[in-house]
Amino acid sequence: MTPAVRAGRAVLRVFLVTWFLLPLVPLVLWAATETWTGATPLPQKWGAQGFTDAFADGGALAFLRSLALGCVVALLATPAGTVAARALTLRTVPRPRFVSALLIAPVVLPVFAVVMGLDVVLLRLHVPGELGIVLVLAVASLPYTTYLMRLAYSAYDFAFEDEARTLGASRRAVLWRVRLPLLAPGLAAAAFLAFLVGWSDYIVTLLIGGGRFVTLPVLVASAASGTGNEPTVAALSITALVPPFLALAAVGVLRRSLARPMSRLTARPTPGNAFHRALPTRGAAA
Amino acid sequence: MSAHLTLRGLSRCYGSPAPPALSDLHLAAPAGSCLAVVGPSGSGKTTVLRLASGLDRPDAGDVLLNGKSVLDVAPEDRGIAMVFQRPMLFPHRNVLDNVAFSARVRGASRRRARIEAAEYLDLVQLSGFGSRHPAELSGGQEQRVALARALAAQPQVLLLDEPFSALDAALRSQMHDLVRRVRAALNPTIVLVTHDQNEAASLADCVAVLSSGRLVQHDTFDRIYTRPTSLVTARQMGGRNEVPGEVRGHHHHSVLGSLALPVDVRPPQGTGVLVFRQESVQVTGATDPGADIHGLVKAVQPTGPRSLLTIEVAAGGRPKAEEQSVKIHAETPPGHCAGVGARVGVRLAPHALAVVPPAPQEDLHRAQMAAGQNRNVGFPVPRRALSD
Repeated sequence: MTPAVRAGRAVLRVFLVTWFLLPLVPLVLWAATETWTGATPLPQKWGAQGFTDAFADGGALAFLRSLALGCVVALLATPAGTVAARALTLRTVPRPRFVSALLIAPVVLPVFAVVMGLDVVLLRLHVPGELGIVLVLAVASLPYTTYLMRLAYSAYDFAFEDEARTLGASRRAVLWRVRLPLLAPGLAAAAFLAFLVGWSDYIVTLLIGGGRFVTLPVLVASAASGTGNEPTVAALSITALVPPFLALAAVGVLRRSLARPMSRLTARPTPGNAFHRALPTRGAAA
Repeated sequence: MSAHLTLRGLSRCYGSPAPPALSDLHLAAPAGSCLAVVGPSGSGKTTVLRLASGLDRPDAGDVLLNGKSVLDVAPEDRGIAMVFQRPMLFPHRNVLDNVAFSARVRGASRRRARIEAAEYLDLVQLSGFGSRHPAELSGGQEQRVALARALAAQPQVLLLDEPFSALDAALRSQMHDLVRRVRAALNPTIVLVTHDQNEAASLADCVAVLSSGRLVQHDTFDRIYTRPTSLVTARQMGGRNEVPGEVRGHHHHSVLGSLALPVDVRPPQGTGVLVFRQESVQVTGATDPGADIHGLVKAVQPTGPRSLLTIEVAAGGRPKAEEQSVKIHAETPPGHCAGVGARVGVRLAPHALAVVPPAPQEDLHRAQMAAGQNRNVGFPVPRRALSD
């Protein structure tokens, strides 16, 4: 790598980091503001008024609702996507291309149009709003979970299951002791994306819930529609960032712990083991 | 701890346009014996193991252990363990826990399972490797662990699906020693699928030759080697000499002349292909009075310390205008100095001759295709020994 290329990459890296972090700067400033007229570059008076107001507006309950929604959507969409991905990988479904297209459809179709139609149907069927939201969001996150689990299955060797069976493992034991551990990184990533769909949804929650099911995004939007609420909006938004970051960190830790033996090898090659395969280092794998 | 394995009339077809992977296969492996299944790629060898282990169900036929059908017994309850061509060590477990897997799924405590597993690691001479991760092992070590893991399941029958084919020659012979030690210690019934005739020779009591999903011959290695009953068997075992001709009485008549057949070789009268091992062909001097035939060395191909000579033998004493000749192959010991172009005498050991029926054209083509794919043979099987 020439110095020019190295310098170019460094510049690009700085640019990308700035690109991602810059929008957070006003958010952080506003969240810590008590008074800021905009006449000065920084707030005139610092304070936690934003968080206090957010809590008073029902922020805690909205936070819990969003958390529950994200978790339930992940719990529904991850197994469903896994089953779909397995069937598509093993080609045990008729017309796999058609089924694939069908599973991608929720991403392609405009959510707004679909939900407007579905809302009427769900009302007629007397489906409770919360259930309706959960079902629609689970379907909406199915393309992501299916896609990630298809990736996971494409790297998965079904011969491990054959081997386990001949070693005395029942189908159930194969599931718990072989398939799930080997698919765990993919499952974690799929669950994370499904959680995000539930966590950050606004349109479906608002339209199907009829505004009565107040989640964090709904609360943020209603606060943002008023004036002078910038500290509250910023406080809610920053709070909304916490769970995804924690989940992302958890997924990272899981992947790292599964990859640990590899890194142990690269750190300390075993002596006298001249035949061991050249393994990619962590950097190359990432 | 070992069982008599019987395969009775097994047939398996994967989809109708494809020819059956296996048709009406009868095969038995007595308790404690080692049966080698050999055959070209796609001959159904692996299908045999998958059906025996229960990973796949036959369309027809039965699998019996000690005379009892196990067709409706799930693979995990059959007491048949399998080692695949790839080690398939679980990447989320260390070596010891890989070996402890079968004890764990059968409900043993982790402590108990690990103590047992350590004994099996001892058996494959990998004690002390228990805490390693599979990725830290060499190919040979991985396959040892796979073997230990299969043995730890205490199988009545151990199925080995070309387990050593990815290893180099030295490692492979170490693994053969290991299998012999395992047989001495635990005596499981072993069915070994292999491409490698030397592996079959050094490990198996009996050899079954498969071709296109059918059993072609099942006999001791020695008889398969010297008394093949078909061209497929002769070629599969690496035999290179095929001389078409005719059987009249107790003699085979061909370009090589009239050759007396051994007393235990009594093929039907009429067309027949004379086959004999290149190892049994003795190359002598051109003036050797004891030589059965004479010929011209056309090619010398070193195969390690020994060399493979291609010798052209012309039809002797025939008044016909067109000259007929046949190429035969001889493996010579180190230090033999017949070069290309030399005239040599050839002695054929009389007990080494056998006669097999000529191959139908279609089968011949398929055998050639299969032989071309068969890399472990080490050299291409001759397209045709006869040239005109």
